[in-house]
Amino acid sequence: MTQNIKIIEEGSTHITFEISDVTPAYANMLRRTLINDIPKLAISKVNFHHGEIRQGEDKVYSSSTSLFDEVIASRLGMIPLPTDLSMNERESCSCGGQGCPLCTVNYSIFAVGPKVVTSGDLVPLGDAKFAPVDKDIPIVELNERQAIMLDAEAYMGRAKDHARFQVAIGVAYRYHRELTVSKREPDIEEIVEKAPKNVISQDDNEITFTTDYPSKYIAKLYRMDSLKIKEDDTRFIFHFETDGSLTAREVLTYALDRIKNRLSFLREQVPGE
Amino acid sequence: MIIPIRCFSCGRVIASDYVKFKAQIDGIRTKEGRDPTPEEISKTLDDLNVTRYCCRRMILSNAELLQEIMPFD
Repeated sequence: MTQNIKIIEEGSTHITFEISDVTPAYANMLRRTLINDIPKLAISKVNFHHGEIRQGEDKVYSSSTSLFDEVIASRLGMIPLPTDLSMNERESCSCGGQGCPLCTVNYSIFAVGPKVVTSGDLVPLGDAKFAPVDKDIPIVELNERQAIMLDAEAYMGRAKDHARFQVAIGVAYRYHRELTVSKREPDIEEIVEKAPKNVISQDDNEITFTTDYPSKYIAKLYRMDSLKIKEDDTRFIFHFETDGSLTAREVLTYALDRIKNRLSFLREQVPGE
Repeated sequence: MIIPIRCFSCGRVIASDYVKFKAQIDGIRTKEGRDPTPEEISKTLDDLNVTRYCCRRMILSNAELLQEIMPFD
């Protein structure tokens, strides 16, 4: 199957595109791959320092905070970390799942109160490119008697294993839709003027719009008597966001390759081919 | 408690947007001495690109209780 992709709108963390010459099954396969089969780096093991934390001569802090350690560990996992797709996954790494620089990134936090500990305090040990993309995520709040000291291990995983590996967010698609109305409708000129991108074609009697580009003026068409709706089940308009660990384009490219590899793997397994 | 990092339903990171949202809303409260109107709240969320209602409810319905229990730690 050869699909065509036309990008309608793109930013570093969001993308809208049209994929054509595919079946509805393929579109759903792409959606599900985007949702649960993109690898991503996330904190998966956390070691807390328990007991007193001393700083300087006479400052003694307690390591117990208002949140349980489990809650803090869960929150650390949810923080998006910049991902390098060439990194190994743990199970298939040459270290045999022990943890090595090829599959693991180590982080640490040391903070004393009073302070709101944010993802900016999460320091990667080693390469600075793995510092969290978003520095403003609050992790825990400390009062003047508290401090936090921990080290954490991050490795690659997929969203089907845990929510912390969720990269693509709000993945949704709709059919390409064409709305044809008579040119004698009263408001038609205003809509053409306000949403010129949505006009596909027009002749002396009729004018055809598409809903591919979001516009509030298109909604007016649905109230017109002469409206004819045509949907095409080989063309789909997709939209999704990412959490910032990968760019939208990287995610899309990976998903398309992933589908191709999995389908060819399936074909190899079918006997008699 | 404290704002969850991701939206429960879709997984979007909302914790950092909540910090910005709160700064904006508290800004209106201190500067103009009144509560923000629903339109202002809605516009603040739109400006932060929090468009889906699952993410909006995460921010709107959060109750900050951590600061209240902190003195008892």
